[in-house]
Amino acid sequence: MSKAQRQSRLDPLWSSLPAAALVGFFVLVPLAIFAVYSILTSRLFEVSGPVTTRNFSDALRSNLNRSLSRNSAEIGLLAAVFSVGLALPMAFWMRHGAKRARAIVMFAVVASFMTGYLVRIYAFRTVLGTSGVINTVLLRLGIVDHPVEALLFSRISVTVALVHIFLPYATITLFAAMAPLSTSYLEAAEDLGANARQRWSRLIAPIMFAPALSTFVLVFVLSASDYVTPQFLGGTNGATIGTQVQVAFTGAGDFGAGAAVSMLMLVAFMICYAVGVGVPRLLGLGRLRFMS
Amino acid sequence: MSRVRRTPVVSTVTFAAVMFLWIPIALVVLFSFHSTGSLTFPFRGFSLRWYREVLGSEEVQRAALNSLTIALASTVSTVLLGTLAAYGLSRTRSRWRPAVAVLFFVPLTLPGLFLGISLLVFFREAKASLSLVTVTIAHLVYVLPYFLLIARAALDRLDPVLDEVAADLGATRWQTFRRVTLPQVWPVLVGAGLLSFALSFDEFIITFFVIGPDSTLPMYIFSQLRRTVDPQINAIATLLLATVIALFAVTFLVTVRASSSRRRLALTDLTGGGA
Repeated sequence: MSKAQRQSRLDPLWSSLPAAALVGFFVLVPLAIFAVYSILTSRLFEVSGPVTTRNFSDALRSNLNRSLSRNSAEIGLLAAVFSVGLALPMAFWMRHGAKRARAIVMFAVVASFMTGYLVRIYAFRTVLGTSGVINTVLLRLGIVDHPVEALLFSRISVTVALVHIFLPYATITLFAAMAPLSTSYLEAAEDLGANARQRWSRLIAPIMFAPALSTFVLVFVLSASDYVTPQFLGGTNGATIGTQVQVAFTGAGDFGAGAAVSMLMLVAFMICYAVGVGVPRLLGLGRLRFMS
Repeated sequence: MSRVRRTPVVSTVTFAAVMFLWIPIALVVLFSFHSTGSLTFPFRGFSLRWYREVLGSEEVQRAALNSLTIALASTVSTVLLGTLAAYGLSRTRSRWRPAVAVLFFVPLTLPGLFLGISLLVFFREAKASLSLVTVTIAHLVYVLPYFLLIARAALDRLDPVLDEVAADLGATRWQTFRRVTLPQVWPVLVGAGLLSFALSFDEFIITFFVIGPDSTLPMYIFSQLRRTVDPQINAIATLLLATVIALFAVTFLVTVRASSSRRRLALTDLTGGGA
């Protein structure tokens, strides 16, 4: 038996084992421990037996949690709506725009994708702050006579920064998903007399529905769980459930409560992902494939 | 060939969005050269004083060195383990394939907040003290799935007949990989490695929970942000931006030149090429 034949008996999947073991050990095991924390009794920076459901009942009954969750959901929804809403036309333009300008836009998007997360938060702080660029310009022009404080430390500023953070990602993903939407299809639609609106609704929308929805859900989940942006841009009205969880683990030391809230958030996010995958399938749009 | 007619709305939105993405960053860069501590107009003249302060700071140097070490260590491990795993997933006929694929998908969908906290809890229970090692482990499991997604898409696009031909000619699997597969995909692997590096270098959300007493550049920016806002942060931000863009430009040129026109690193490679 030759060496090649002997080797071919071993399935290539074995070469995935080291990476799989690593991810299993450092992601699934920690998640399991985290889940166990949510049903243990919490003391200061400590959890121990006996098993209890109190963390969950407290988390569900808390009015604070409810309003923080509402904040998070609103911020997440707005960030997702604007990210996907801007990314779709951008991705379309990047596929079909004028050649030279296309390269510039692509570079602009990829380079901003690589711009630091904290750097962007910082940028908006200097732009939106009471002594920030927008306010000083407005004051100088005499449009307002005192700085507009609502620009910073509000849900709006958090949302704007999150859109800035996730827009490049959404654009690149949707650009990749537009591959089946070839020029010849669009030309054919045009030749058959479809106007711009009909092209969007009959051709582009059915192809882009599933990828747009999954991008929407991902941006929603990542924005709604963000705990850094609200800290720096949110003020008191912009506090979110994510900041609450972070404080439970690093400041307050109430591990049980933090873990219970986290588990509830995870369940909510999993439902979101299920909707993101399930709805296109129900509509028969999940597996659209075109020759390109 | 006639081009598709673009509606003015699409062009306007694209233009506005690019402005939205770049004006705040451009302002950060501009004020990093400000001669005063002010971060707003009027602009009172150029100076490199903030760069001098930042580059002279021992705290920044240590943070930068830590960031570099972590990013290098996690990238090298990611490229090695990720390439192996991607090869396995793309060539296997095993019925376990979907399960393994889903496993690698978990960290991509899990918000960093939860990955960070669960690792914090895990290291606590394991009585492992937090250090740069725990950060590197965290970055590795965070970055690896991204690398894998891109590498797998590149491997899946290859013509499987080439592998069979090589096997028929008596090549071992390693020889086939080395001589047939790798020459076709290495530019994508390099690009994905670079993305891994950039992701790790910039990571804050998870790092915050598992770092312990050490610092990285994002951690340093975070601590500065909590205290004051002055052009030092602008200078660090500009240096980071310049580094990442330079890295990208170099990688792009190297891979494009080396692979001639055969297989160029494309934007779509960053997201795993469609689907």
